[in-house]
Amino acid sequence: MDYTKQIREIATKLFTEEKIDVFVGYRTTGFDENQVPVIITGLEEIPKLIFNDKSVFNLTNYLKQEHTRNKRVGLIVKGCDSRSLNLLLTENQVKREKLFVIGIACEGVCDDEGNKMQHCTECMFPDAVVFDEMVGTTHDARLYQVNADVRELASKSLVERREYFETVFESCIRCNACRHSCPLCYCAKCVIDQETSTLYHGANTTSSAFHALMTWSLHLAGRCVDCRNCESACPMNLPLHLLHKQNESVIYENFQEHMAGVVEGDRGAFYKYSMKDPDDFIM
Amino acid sequence: MARVGVFVCFCGANIADYVDVPMVVEETKKIREVKFAIEYKYMCSDPGQQLIREAIVQHRLTSIVVAACSPRMHEKTFRKALSDAGMNPYLLEVANIREHSSWVHQKDKKAATEKAADLVRMAVAKSIANEQLFEISVPVTKRALVIGGGIAGIQAALDIADARIPVVLVEKSPSIGGKMAQLDETFPTLDCSQCILTPKMVDVASHPYIELIPYSEVIELEGFVGNYKARIKKKASYVNFATCTGCGACWQKCPVKVPNEYNMGIDKRKAIYTPFPQAVPNKPVIDAAYCTMLLKGKCGICAKVCQVGAIDFKMQEEIIEREIGAVVVATGYDLWDPKPYEEYGVGRFKDIITSLEFERMVSANGPTNGLPVRPSDGKIPKNVVFIKCIGSRDEAKGIEYCSKICCMYTTKHTILLHHKVHDSHAYVFYMDIRAAGKGYEEFVKKAQVDTAATYLRGRVSKIYKKEDKLIVRGEDSQIGQVVEVVADLVVLATAVIPPKDNPELARMLGISYDKYGYLSEAHPKLRPVETAKAGIFLAGCTQAPKDIPDTVAQASACAAKVCGLFAGDTMKKDPMISTVNTEFCSGCQNCVQVCPYGAIVTEEVPMGHGSKEMRTVARINEGVCQGCGSCVAVCRSMAISLAGFTDHQIINEIVSI
Repeated sequence: MDYTKQIREIATKLFTEEKIDVFVGYRTTGFDENQVPVIITGLEEIPKLIFNDKSVFNLTNYLKQEHTRNKRVGLIVKGCDSRSLNLLLTENQVKREKLFVIGIACEGVCDDEGNKMQHCTECMFPDAVVFDEMVGTTHDARLYQVNADVRELASKSLVERREYFETVFESCIRCNACRHSCPLCYCAKCVIDQETSTLYHGANTTSSAFHALMTWSLHLAGRCVDCRNCESACPMNLPLHLLHKQNESVIYENFQEHMAGVVEGDRGAFYKYSMKDPDDFIM
Repeated sequence: MARVGVFVCFCGANIADYVDVPMVVEETKKIREVKFAIEYKYMCSDPGQQLIREAIVQHRLTSIVVAACSPRMHEKTFRKALSDAGMNPYLLEVANIREHSSWVHQKDKKAATEKAADLVRMAVAKSIANEQLFEISVPVTKRALVIGGGIAGIQAALDIADARIPVVLVEKSPSIGGKMAQLDETFPTLDCSQCILTPKMVDVASHPYIELIPYSEVIELEGFVGNYKARIKKKASYVNFATCTGCGACWQKCPVKVPNEYNMGIDKRKAIYTPFPQAVPNKPVIDAAYCTMLLKGKCGICAKVCQVGAIDFKMQEEIIEREIGAVVVATGYDLWDPKPYEEYGVGRFKDIITSLEFERMVSANGPTNGLPVRPSDGKIPKNVVFIKCIGSRDEAKGIEYCSKICCMYTTKHTILLHHKVHDSHAYVFYMDIRAAGKGYEEFVKKAQVDTAATYLRGRVSKIYKKEDKLIVRGEDSQIGQVVEVVADLVVLATAVIPPKDNPELARMLGISYDKYGYLSEAHPKLRPVETAKAGIFLAGCTQAPKDIPDTVAQASACAAKVCGLFAGDTMKKDPMISTVNTEFCSGCQNCVQVCPYGAIVTEEVPMGHGSKEMRTVARINEGVCQGCGSCVAVCRSMAISLAGFTDHQIINEIVSI
């Protein structure tokens, strides 16, 4: 998968026709094959742009930033990224008319070793669901899959699961990189940072990390699009996707096969009511 | 430092038999902030309240916990006691140790006592974080909207208007009167329905405080109690009501004939019509579905014969707005279509009719000059079989509930049949005779004697045709035999069902409805005319099937509620409502989505201090908010807080046990 040529062409067209002020894309780090996001402001920077299977990050995260706010933005979205964009649109964080979206029919991205990322192999929506222009060949409909590690976690008892997370989260240093890298964490002031939230305080004690990450995962339940920006950003390599995928699979099962961000206007299972919602927990 | 007073109630034996009350008091005294704790036999009694008032002063208490019954019972009582002692009433917390402990744990006194102590501990912890709250005043628009111009709407409108409160009465058909205008006589007194209804209809038209808007529908209601704004769609009548004199020249000359809804389609009306002679307002409308001038551009006879030029074929529908403070919903009922009763030959045999069709036939102003006739050959029927519970109490084909009025109107029909056709005989198939009501049982008994009708307790299994008669086969369960009755005419007492638009109407008004489509009252016993939405009331069959006396009583009750609501210039409202901390709000509007009352709107605020850039945040309309807390639950950044139930208070409760 290498769409560098197409992306540069589209970006050139957009800048030439003065349809956008900035363009959010990918560039190489300069010292290895890996890529980092780049925000370019004119034609002269277009040669920086690149897109291939190393274009891992979900660029919608950059729509929250000052560089792009209130500007006309060109943007590349893969399947998962487009779903987070859908949620940002639904939750009134960005305005569609200010965006020019290049949708990618994604073949899956690779990790540092060049292997296809695990979540890309089980991706249900590889093609962008919201776009102005599509690049690549679109895919047929795919079935929902839950990866082996999530299934194994789900088979454990409640106590075992809690113990597991308490143990792995011991190494959390509360740097909040997961939150900063998440496109759907845009709150004006995160609950974890609020003075009243005594549960999350106590520097980086295990219990504060545990509560903070659990709260964070619940705030993303039914919204997480499994882009794994958080895992890429985590300096301690915490298996954060386990939290999100576990939530996702439970919601998929119980809330009419709900998948986050597939339809614009759908706020997610926890923010709407349907007669089909499970109610067997009520006596 | 908080100084909490705790008052634990025995509730006679209700609590004391299953909870060791002195033990709860002892446990409570161990809490640091509790400066005074005492038990008493009945806290809600006057001496009990006096105890609270004295302790507040003596011990300089800063918040009060009463451990007793549900706050739904006596929260107001105890708040009043606090006020009387000069304390802010919202510094009260009620720990419900009756419904939540003694009543539900009667088998284990020790555990019940421990739980009661925990409940008190939680209430104490919460009360420490209680803040002084003050009742909210909301201005009131003193004008009521009544939706539906049947007897319920008419009665409610008249009663409200008699209190000199302006009323807007919206009726969707061309005339008010509703189903009652179609009835001949009314049970149990057999007075003429029209004769008692039409004076009220005329009163509505002439009342200085009633604005009657016929042939219109309410399409939108926004706002909150005391401050609603209704958008009303006036359908195009093609007749200028202001100039029309109601002379009738137009509908006499109109050449287009249309099935007459008022007479259940038994005869025809014209394309320009008033529903019935006593219609109010007595102004015709043109039925656009049939008028050849509107459909094909040919005819226009009505316009030619109209002396005052009231006909306007170019008339468009019009949307008008009215500011109102309260709504009475009185949309009435429909009758169930008996089509699923295929074994009766419904639809195949012309001589099977519904009760309302029978009612129209025997009406003095009906299509058959007041006589029942067989639709097949126009002959007067001699043997008439009435079958009750068609659709009612029938889970398989119809609905589960009893329609309440059919037993009585069928009895009335046997009398009317007897009056009109002296040598006739009525047979009534019934499941039970339900005649609960003033004079009802006597009415049924008298009718059975006077008409000598044959009552057969059992269901009809089949109706088939033999020559020009219908053979009704059913069971007489009292003799345990299958019986067959040779009938000239069969009358089906079809079930009462809610109007099919009710769910849509309920969604538009923001009130709830049940699985059948009846609009839901706030409490089945104690708040039978209120809805869960403040300022919206229910009258008549839109809430449940009922007869005319009950409907009128409920309509008057609605009027009393409306008058009560409008008694002052402002309304008092509990201060337990949500507020948004706009600094923390990111404008995702999840709260707007989940608010069941439509109480949350958005507003623009500056991005930062002195910034010209704006951002969107949520704002709670304090008049509409009912304090349910749904918005608090979905707000990820905890930007919304519910007064009286702040996160601080709830966390205090959790950590206290």
